Amino acid sequence: MADGLRGKYCIVGVGETEYSRGSGRTTRAMGAEAIRNAMNDAGLTPADVDGMLSYHGGDSTPSTAIMYDLGIRPNFYMDCSGGGSSTEALVGLAMGAIEAGMADTVAIFRSMNGYSQIRIGGTGVRAAAPITGPDLMRRPYGLISAVQNFAFTFTRHMMEYGVTNEDLAHIKVAHSNHASNNPKALMKQRVTVDDVINSRWIIRPCAHLLDCCLETDNATCIIVTSAERAKDLKQKPVYILGVQGRGTKPGGDFHYQHGPISRVAGHYVGPRIFDLAGVTHDDVDVTGCYDAFTYTVLLQFEDYGWCQKGEGKDYVTSGIINLGGRRPNNTSGGHLCEGYTHGMNMVIENVRQLRGTVDDYCPQWRDGIHTYDYAEGGCRQVRNAEVSMNMGWGTPAIGSALIMRR
Amino acid sequence: MPSYDYRGQAIVISENDTEYKGYFEAAAEHRLVVKRCTDCGLLRGEPGPGCPWCTSLNWEWREVSGKGTIYSYQIVAHTVIPAFRDWAPFPIVLVELDEQRGQPDSYDGLRITANLVDGDMGPEKEENVAIGKRVEVVFHDGDDGFALPQFRLSGEQSEGEVWSHSL
Repeated sequence: MADGLRGKYCIVGVGETEYSRGSGRTTRAMGAEAIRNAMNDAGLTPADVDGMLSYHGGDSTPSTAIMYDLGIRPNFYMDCSGGGSSTEALVGLAMGAIEAGMADTVAIFRSMNGYSQIRIGGTGVRAAAPITGPDLMRRPYGLISAVQNFAFTFTRHMMEYGVTNEDLAHIKVAHSNHASNNPKALMKQRVTVDDVINSRWIIRPCAHLLDCCLETDNATCIIVTSAERAKDLKQKPVYILGVQGRGTKPGGDFHYQHGPISRVAGHYVGPRIFDLAGVTHDDVDVTGCYDAFTYTVLLQFEDYGWCQKGEGKDYVTSGIINLGGRRPNNTSGGHLCEGYTHGMNMVIENVRQLRGTVDDYCPQWRDGIHTYDYAEGGCRQVRNAEVSMNMGWGTPAIGSALIMRR
Repeated sequence: MPSYDYRGQAIVISENDTEYKGYFEAAAEHRLVVKRCTDCGLLRGEPGPGCPWCTSLNWEWREVSGKGTIYSYQIVAHTVIPAFRDWAPFPIVLVELDEQRGQPDSYDGLRITANLVDGDMGPEKEENVAIGKRVEVVFHDGDDGFALPQFRLSGEQSEGEVWSHSL
């Protein structure tokens, strides 16, 4: 597989708005703020940014509006339809656009009032829409939300491998501990296994309320440019070793017609990303494994090869994924606790981890000075983090991956 | 363009819907159909325009027995659809039909989503829902000629492992 782009491109700026439930403003206003924050983070002016990429599900504002708001005149832009796992794929598309000479510096953004406007869980607007096309085989039966679309995979996996709700709860517990050290997190409260399994059921047998991510209003931005261009920018560049996306299982949206249905896209994406990036699992210090639900984390750990198939329950309960463990996962709290961003915040967090300047409660985090005390209200910087990996989830059938090095 | 109301939801099947219109026309006659490739002869559970195995675009509707086995399931304790609140908790099942099981590859099957219903077309009790149980199709007749395929327990001996979550 071609590795000619390994380390040639990097992420030089990241930014976001507040994570809230009631932004009180438009996706346009939030998108402009997130891009502006990322430009400021990178030390770039609007004249330096000549590419824009976004993704949406009919719930955002296109680049063509926000380019006016910020005085950006792109040589390249695309607004892509897509949800989870788009972040990593768009990092790759930005690299491709630059490599093709279409642009020099690309801002990728996602803006969504995922709680107050078009709820990501389907309540309201989406549940009221007429039923047509492929939905005719699902929504008349009351099957509409993301967790429902994934639940046949989750339930079948529970049967095949003996996963319990307690196993899944450990993922939420770890991410909540991480979020307690993240001033930006929507849900900073640490929770216990009992809190999770005693929260109300959403879908039996695989999802209590606290197994589900947080519908959130927010915008996020990541800026990609060449390593050459990055040399005189403000931040230490974070180099892209390899990216894959959106890799797919046989059958796409209709993957339940094939099998095994407890297998997810990481089975296909995993070997390609490690080969492309030229690293092994052992080289990775911190992961961002997409946590739309606790179960998406467990399935991806298995199929990306962090453990054997069926041993995901042991991986997530072993302490490996906790801060202070061998390879912490979603140190910001992720979608379960920081806020739901369709994957952007997990890449943003890993960029900050690799810079060594995670915005925790350490008084001198801006200077990269951390206590490494992971008690509540303390540090969430991973010591000496060199390599990160993101695993984006679209559905059981769709996934993306990104490996970065400081 | 036929439009129906089912449990407070607007169901719109357009005249040019080459995927699903025939499926619901057959359901109105209480027949469960799948698409059959007229070149390689394989059936497909999702009624798309092309054959996933030979790329042929030639197909016909083929009636199936309507018998199958629960392959996976979910119990909807919380629904985001207002018209389903009086049903919750209710089961949605993924049914593997008897036809073409394990063909052409060992993990392949014709798998259809539906509710598991009881004798009154209401939601089957949760304790009766399990992977491996045998089911058969029934048709819920709605208004204006709309009919929805559903499944109920057939009472036949189950095959292989029967699994359900503990209550």
